[in-house]
Amino acid sequence: MSEFLGEVPGGVVPARRRWRRVGRPSLLLILAALVPTVLIALPVVYVLIRSWDAGWSGIVAELLRPRTVLLFVNTTTLTVCVTLFSVLIGFAAAWCTERCDLPMPALWRVLCSLPLAMPAFVASFAWKSLGPEFQGLPGAILILTMESFPLVFLPAAAALRSMDPGMEEVSRSLGHGPWQSFVAIVVPRMLPALGGAALLVTAHMLSEFGALSLLRVQTFTTAIFQQYELQFDNASAAVLSAVLMLLCLPVAWAEMRLRKGARFAKVGRNTARRGSPVRLGRAKPLIMLVFVLLAIVSLGVPFGRLLYWLVKGVSAGRGLDAIVPALWGSLSLAIPGTLVTTLVALPLVLLALKSRGPIARLADRLPYIVHGLPGLVVALALVYIAIRVLPAVYQTSTLVFAAYAILFMPLAQSAIRASAELVPREIEEVARTLGRGPAAAFLSVTLPALAPGLGAALALVALELMRELTATLILAPTGVTTLATEVWSHTNDSAYAAAAPFAAMLVLISGVPVYFFTLRTLNGQRSRAVS
Amino acid sequence: MYDVTRRQLIAGAGLGGVAILSGAVLPARADTVRLALYNGQHRPPVEALVAAFTQATGIEVATRNGNSAQLASQLIEEGPNSPADVFWSEESPSLAAIAEKGLLVPLAADTLAAVPETYHAKDGTWTGATARCRVVVYNKSMIEPASLPPSVLDFAAEAWADKVAFAPNSGAFQQQIVAVSLLKGRDAALAWLKGLKQYGRVYNSDSAAVEAVESGEIETALSNNYYWHALAREIGADDMQSAIHNIGHGDPGTLITVSGAGVLKTSKNADAAQKFVAFMVSAEGQAAIVGAIAEYPLRPGVVSPFPLTPFDQLDPAPVTPAQLGTAEDALALLREADLA
Repeated sequence: MSEFLGEVPGGVVPARRRWRRVGRPSLLLILAALVPTVLIALPVVYVLIRSWDAGWSGIVAELLRPRTVLLFVNTTTLTVCVTLFSVLIGFAAAWCTERCDLPMPALWRVLCSLPLAMPAFVASFAWKSLGPEFQGLPGAILILTMESFPLVFLPAAAALRSMDPGMEEVSRSLGHGPWQSFVAIVVPRMLPALGGAALLVTAHMLSEFGALSLLRVQTFTTAIFQQYELQFDNASAAVLSAVLMLLCLPVAWAEMRLRKGARFAKVGRNTARRGSPVRLGRAKPLIMLVFVLLAIVSLGVPFGRLLYWLVKGVSAGRGLDAIVPALWGSLSLAIPGTLVTTLVALPLVLLALKSRGPIARLADRLPYIVHGLPGLVVALALVYIAIRVLPAVYQTSTLVFAAYAILFMPLAQSAIRASAELVPREIEEVARTLGRGPAAAFLSVTLPALAPGLGAALALVALELMRELTATLILAPTGVTTLATEVWSHTNDSAYAAAAPFAAMLVLISGVPVYFFTLRTLNGQRSRAVS
Repeated sequence: MYDVTRRQLIAGAGLGGVAILSGAVLPARADTVRLALYNGQHRPPVEALVAAFTQATGIEVATRNGNSAQLASQLIEEGPNSPADVFWSEESPSLAAIAEKGLLVPLAADTLAAVPETYHAKDGTWTGATARCRVVVYNKSMIEPASLPPSVLDFAAEAWADKVAFAPNSGAFQQQIVAVSLLKGRDAALAWLKGLKQYGRVYNSDSAAVEAVESGEIETALSNNYYWHALAREIGADDMQSAIHNIGHGDPGTLITVSGAGVLKTSKNADAAQKFVAFMVSAEGQAAIVGAIAEYPLRPGVVSPFPLTPFDQLDPAPVTPAQLGTAEDALALLREADLA
């Protein structure tokens, strides 16, 4: 259906149909896709085995406890509110910077992207040290929305830029008002970008631990941690994890539905023409004031508190010599972890594009199901399996990379897929007819064409891995610390001043992938249009 | 149907090679002989002791930090494949739990002799190193110390609604539950927890609870004594809005708990591991530990630099670490009271 929108520029055959013409995927590709599939299956199997240990009656009893109901209410309230507010704020901000005559749009764009560099648990630590008012569900919704809306802003801004203003102009010329045109033309075309971003935020909220623990909000994820801290065996933690996986199912399903309509977003990508901006008129100063307020709440407060603790406190000097090993630990886990995660995700994307069979589709979907699982559960699964099956990799960085791949594969998949869907299959076939083998053709032709998606995947995954806390805590080799684990352990001991230098360094380092990601998202559309 | 060409294989091997290479950036394990310390105790005292130990003996220590109960379950999960040499636990029940599983070896007689008999395992598999006390922390401007109740059980009442902070996750709180159960009976312990659930306010940790009292968010907190001292060091003792209250007279509100260590059966550096635990209870080691955390040294003759209530004036609940055991029933009670 979506292929017949009648807007396909130049009458080019849609990408997906081109792919379908091609024969079966190679054995090599299938084998390569097996690796991520097996990895993803590990935590699922672990959760099922451990839940089974609780027995049917145990599972039912656990599910019917009033506490489980409370956890369910908290988890869904938090997730729905943060996602909704992030989408509203992110979309509104993107509309203002991309479609209106707002002065200094570049400044507002940067201010709306920068909160990405602030890990949620660092922001929470900053807010929490400000006062108790920010604890609890309302505070958590505020703080997490402030750190999440850039995840919506960036893709929304990119989509608005690439959208052909022609359709809107046609709608207006047919007598529809600006609002009508907006709802009828712009909103549907924004849905894939907004939906993808919303699902990212949702998955973050389901698995968030550090921030919520600091803000005293109990969700399934924090309860799983509590079980783990309380009990020497964790059957009931496994039952809660299984519930969390079930909560991820509708999310994964929604992502799949949205992607079916994904052709919307691609349409008109070759048009660089910008429509005439919406005149804000007298609302201009008011909107700028709102942007300033947004920047103060999302950036000013956390950065200000961080600086305050950096300067203040007798513990400031303590443990400062630990910053170099922690920085090294962060980089030596995050950089190879990013490469591994992206590499592992690549065959899944290629396989799903080449084969529409149910197995390929399942392999493609599986990562999204565990995406909402907390790092702790994935880490425990890997500990359980490594000790029994592969003791040689236990407490090595290999196991950390495996956990990273399991946790963040969907991010890499989505980013690579965006590029892969744009690559005409014919290019690779031309290379084949010119005498290249399939692998050589892939390496010399397809892979370079995937570069933008791979770049986005690398930046996004690197950003996530820098701040990954719980899997790293459990799986890292003994003696290895990272910036995130140091911030966490100092904050836990209420040594805010001691935590501050690590937190500041973490934000600084996170700025690098944020810079690349922002640059790519906001400028990628334009440069492609030029070429 | 599938024809795998040599080039495909080479390309595949190349991709695999990259993955393996990137995995090998960090050495899998250090080559030098280092003690692997699983640490559940707060980091400042451990870092101080490790530095002193390495300086005194030349033996390096790699520390794996975590929560005590969590590390204990990890050790149980690892079983015979554990890479750990020493387990330093914030709480004795975690040590008792792994001792029960037969994961610890007896400590050297001299090590055990360094601290009073009450504070090490009967079978000699672990020893306490420092002790701390359950206390009530109160906000000085919100409440008069005279109006604090004579027993910790009294906090679980409507009169104290929204005025008591407590942390069910805290290992020390769980020991306090067991102490209440031992001294007053299981029903009283359950009623106490249900009352706290109804009238108290749950915090994620003792330190968060103490901070909440300090900031005026809530009147009182059930906590370990040293969290107050840690905050006092951060803020400055003279600027503190909160103070410590010892209930005393044998009430479970004043409970002595210990932090300690044991040597793993799987240790490949058993001598060095024994040396480490011996150093923990030596005069030098004890001074290093209690200089970094406001806990009581268990070795007689060592003095804490913190302004602690003298150990012999605490008049604590008559419950020993051995009686607390693995504190298993605490979890069952917490679940029955819907706190976990």
